[in-house]
Amino acid sequence: MMRPSRMPAAPRRILVAEDQADIRDLLVMNLQQSGYAVQAVNDGAAALAAEAAEPSDLLVLDLMMPGLDGLEVCKGLRARERDTPILMLTAKSTELDRVLGLELGADDYLTKPFSMAELLARVKALLRRADMREAALTASASERPLVHGALQIWPAKRSVAVRGAAVDLTALEFELLLHFATHPGRVFSRGQLLDAVWGYSHDGYEHTVTTHINRLRAKLEQDPLRPEWVLTVRGAGYKFRE
Amino acid sequence: MTVRARLALTVLLTSLATALALIFTVATAFQRFEHERTWERADGFIGRVVATHPDLLDLHRGDPVGFTGFLRNLLLFEPGSQLYLLDMDGTVLASSGVMPLAPGFQVTLGPVKEAVMLAGDRARAAYVMGDDPEYMREDTVIAARALQATVIRPTDEVAGYLYLVSQKPTLPAGRLALMRSSVAGPALAGVAALVLAGALIAIWIIGTVTRPLRELSDAVDAASRDGFEAAERVKPPPPPRRGGDEFARLRAGFHAMLARLHAQWDRLRRLDQFRREGVSNLSHDLRSPLTATTAGLETLARRWASDPPDGRSGPDARAEDLALVQMALRNTAHAAAMVRALADFALLDEPSYRLQTTPMSVGELLDDIVLRFASRAAQQEVALQCTHDDEGDAAPPMAALDIELFERALANLLDNALQATPAGGRIELRAVREAATVVVSVRDTGAGIPAAELPLLFERFYHRREGGHGLGLAIVRRIVDLHGGEVSAHGAPAQGTEIRIRLPAVG
Repeated sequence: MMRPSRMPAAPRRILVAEDQADIRDLLVMNLQQSGYAVQAVNDGAAALAAEAAEPSDLLVLDLMMPGLDGLEVCKGLRARERDTPILMLTAKSTELDRVLGLELGADDYLTKPFSMAELLARVKALLRRADMREAALTASASERPLVHGALQIWPAKRSVAVRGAAVDLTALEFELLLHFATHPGRVFSRGQLLDAVWGYSHDGYEHTVTTHINRLRAKLEQDPLRPEWVLTVRGAGYKFRE
Repeated sequence: MTVRARLALTVLLTSLATALALIFTVATAFQRFEHERTWERADGFIGRVVATHPDLLDLHRGDPVGFTGFLRNLLLFEPGSQLYLLDMDGTVLASSGVMPLAPGFQVTLGPVKEAVMLAGDRARAAYVMGDDPEYMREDTVIAARALQATVIRPTDEVAGYLYLVSQKPTLPAGRLALMRSSVAGPALAGVAALVLAGALIAIWIIGTVTRPLRELSDAVDAASRDGFEAAERVKPPPPPRRGGDEFARLRAGFHAMLARLHAQWDRLRRLDQFRREGVSNLSHDLRSPLTATTAGLETLARRWASDPPDGRSGPDARAEDLALVQMALRNTAHAAAMVRALADFALLDEPSYRLQTTPMSVGELLDDIVLRFASRAAQQEVALQCTHDDEGDAAPPMAALDIELFERALANLLDNALQATPAGGRIELRAVREAATVVVSVRDTGAGIPAAELPLLFERFYHRREGGHGLGLAIVRRIVDLHGGEVSAHGAPAQGTEIRIRLPAVG
């Protein structure tokens, strides 16, 4: 059971936009109980207005709302160059919507029906990742890269180069690579990677790790079938070469 | 052979036959005419001879040897003929010919009598063909006159015949010899031109007449090959509303059939769409109330777990309440899983659904899944084994996989296997390459399934286990279908069950 955490600093602010009153009330109740300062609105336009008035640390958006829907809010917010983490709630489980949600700037999604415990875990993970990003941005610009053979990683600049050529990685691909590269030789199961990189471990999402490792290999390796950096350890998981 | 070619061939053969018949008829008429002229001449000649010498039989009886010379003298005025003196039975008594005849040689009497009957009749165009003793032929124009032995008994009946055989060398030997005559060439050319022109015109007309038939059969071909929608693109234009020949009626029928097919297809599609949307909407509409219920119960459980029981209800009552809430949560979670499966199935069932595939080592995915299920298997005391060809230098079995979906399919299979396998049992996962395919199998040592039920396993809403929703394996089959593979179930009661997935390999 989760207990409300006593935070010494000012509580993190969360904006909830959900048109169904029951679910909205429950979200507010549970988030407040976990120690967040929660503001709730019931449509997209109100969410954008509230964000304009006072920015939050995280947004929980329902995808299907009358008027402006979750995606519109995402677009509107990103158009203002705001990278506030967004957790999208959707009743539609179509893969298309998932991709769209992530492409249009949502950082994570949950399909209804979801459990509150899972939602709270996701919220925590998103806030932690945002903090890490913040910390990395403030780190020194003249950092030295992590070097593994022909692979160079600049953690603060969040950039990667293979054989001298820059490689375009998504945020999660980069975090995954960074996690591997900072623990060379250590074997991780998919569940552990999910926990460490994504920030939560929930049964049924392991395939996300496989997909990302696959994509990472395709982008980094000369022969993704015989990988040089991200190696498979049979019966155990994955490891970065020592 | 097309109808057009067959009709054209028929017309060509018919005109050829007509031309041949024409040539034959003309040739025959020409020859008849020649024969009639010959007969006329021969009959006139022999009539004159008999009128001048009515006593030929007597003359012969008087001087048999000199008679031959007498006959030859007569022929000085009619060259190309031979004269014979016959008795009443047709036996040759004397001949003008040089060639000696066998003694007692007989000429067929029928034509002789016929010639006698016709003798002198110029009103009728006719001729008689009879024997030519010299050349031993039976198709020579002859003439004959009956002779009487006038000197002895003038009232006697016929006592013999004077018989003339016309051997005109100028007469064409046969019908075909006529073709060598001067008129034959142009006439034949004319006939040939006529036949050719007729055939060409016929072919053109046939082509015109059968064109609608060809267009229709093209459209029917397109329909049977690519469906009726393809036929609608190549179908001939609709016929005029009224009138028209059999082809027009056929075309009208074809159009009506296409329209009907279209209407039925549209109705089926609408129904299918309606069904899919119904399932999809229902599952979506159930999500919000389920979310609220789950969240409400969770919140309640959390609150009760952290709050101390109040004065009125003791700790036992609170524990009971908590158990009730947990039960409600368990059931809501189960309902949520069903709604999710239903929505997934509705989504995967969309004809427009597209996979997002990447080439992936199937064995690696199996390893990952084994890891994912390892703790649950250990809890149930079931051994989980995984074998594949990734070891060694052999190329690992690769397939184009939508990782999320394929992992879901494998997870469903493993979930089923774990449900079916008792403690102490074993589950084996295998991935092997077979020719151009990758075969993935999940095999358990559970109770097994009767052979009759095996094919039903993949039907939606077919479930063998209490609490199952009957969508797990239906989703597996749909996912495998989307990957272009096939899935099958094997096994028998008391021997466990094996589900085998065959996918096209890559690399």
